[in-house]
Amino acid sequence: MKSISLYTDNGSWIVRLHPFSKLFYLIAAILIPLISGHLWMFAVTVLASISFLMSSHMLRKAVPLIAFSFTIILTIFIIQGIFFKDNTSVLLTLGPLSFYKEGLLYSSRIGLNILNMLLSFSILVLTTSPSELVEELEKKGFSPKFGYIINSVFQIVPEMMGTMHTISDAQRSRGMETEGKLVTRMKAFIPLISPVVMSALTSSRERAIALEVRGFGANVKKTYLYSHPYTKQDQMMKWGSLTSLAAVIVLRVLHVL
Amino acid sequence: MGKLFKTNFSTAVIVLIPACIGINYIGKLFAQLLKLPLWLDCIGTCIGAILGGPIIGGICGAANNLIYGFTTGDNITLVYALTSLFIGISVGIMARLGFMESFPKAMLTACVGGLAAVVVSTPLNIMYWGGQTGNVWGDAVFAATQAAGLPVWIGSLLDELVVDVPDKLITGIIVYLIVSKLPQKLTTLYDANAVIESLD
Repeated sequence: MKSISLYTDNGSWIVRLHPFSKLFYLIAAILIPLISGHLWMFAVTVLASISFLMSSHMLRKAVPLIAFSFTIILTIFIIQGIFFKDNTSVLLTLGPLSFYKEGLLYSSRIGLNILNMLLSFSILVLTTSPSELVEELEKKGFSPKFGYIINSVFQIVPEMMGTMHTISDAQRSRGMETEGKLVTRMKAFIPLISPVVMSALTSSRERAIALEVRGFGANVKKTYLYSHPYTKQDQMMKWGSLTSLAAVIVLRVLHVL
Repeated sequence: MGKLFKTNFSTAVIVLIPACIGINYIGKLFAQLLKLPLWLDCIGTCIGAILGGPIIGGICGAANNLIYGFTTGDNITLVYALTSLFIGISVGIMARLGFMESFPKAMLTACVGGLAAVVVSTPLNIMYWGGQTGNVWGDAVFAATQAAGLPVWIGSLLDELVVDVPDKLITGIIVYLIVSKLPQKLTTLYDANAVIESLD
């Protein structure tokens, strides 16, 4: 079964970091440029994220995660560059269209914000195992029932995708058309989705019984088999992120930035 | 009908949530497979909301976006957790009020869900994308309104309206067809207002 999580363990230093250190970095990297309000601050955090990804050999995997946003960023540049409400000074003219400086500045702010968020988030996603993150959160008091919900999604989805392939093969072999006109494709949706949904709901009943038998609903404190070491690098990541975030807030309040 | 927000947190309901999240994912996959111009990515949220009530619907919606944000790595999906949360809550409330009993009523529920999505998404679209949605038809509408000099929020609202309401109507039809065929053996498991009768 193919996993839907993007996490891969390549043994690099970021993979070995504690999940919380990466969370601290994520929060700091997203908030710092927004609080500072300067365009160049986005460049700083974007470059920091890229260098982290490069040092852990993850940059190539991060590219497809970010590439999808390029088309929408491009349309933002076109639409805002031409139609932004405060447009006054023309920057360049392409045939009948003229792009304005204000609109382009506004859209580069949006574009950089999106890029920064995606990059810093991809560090967390590519290098952290979801079940490990959930377990660490549970140790800090996160509800184990919600922890179960998150973990089991990662098991259920590959299983349902298997069912989905079986059912679409079965329906096709019975002569159902899945290609052609829009109406034909719309009609094909119901016979495809309803067996998957029905089987998922029925098997959830069995899963509930199996969990109950194993004491899922028991109200006792859980114990953990594995504990993640908290290293010097974790300390550096955590306090580096927190102090730079605090510094930006202080500088902003004192009107230095 | 019973109480509107009463929620049953039994194991059966907890297990229903990941199943619903899986259904959302499969719906989206099938829509892509059949090249439909719709998202159809909240079928599970609606089913969860109808079976478990507004709270479970809200949890399904929010958890759905949080988890997929994590698997696809785009935290833009995370922001729209708020939209899914409100779709789940509004559909759940409508279902508890009895608006899932007949086909026309189910359509009304779908409209309410769609409008909830529009109202919550529009400010998010303005904050993150300058008002666009990324859907070709919706963005064409947005460009037209901006060219006509209308305020950004009206353009963004129309942009979202054109995309979301038809999507939720189709979702509503599918959900109605599925939920009305579910065996009672299953639906009673999730009923928060059920009463156990004893024979003695």
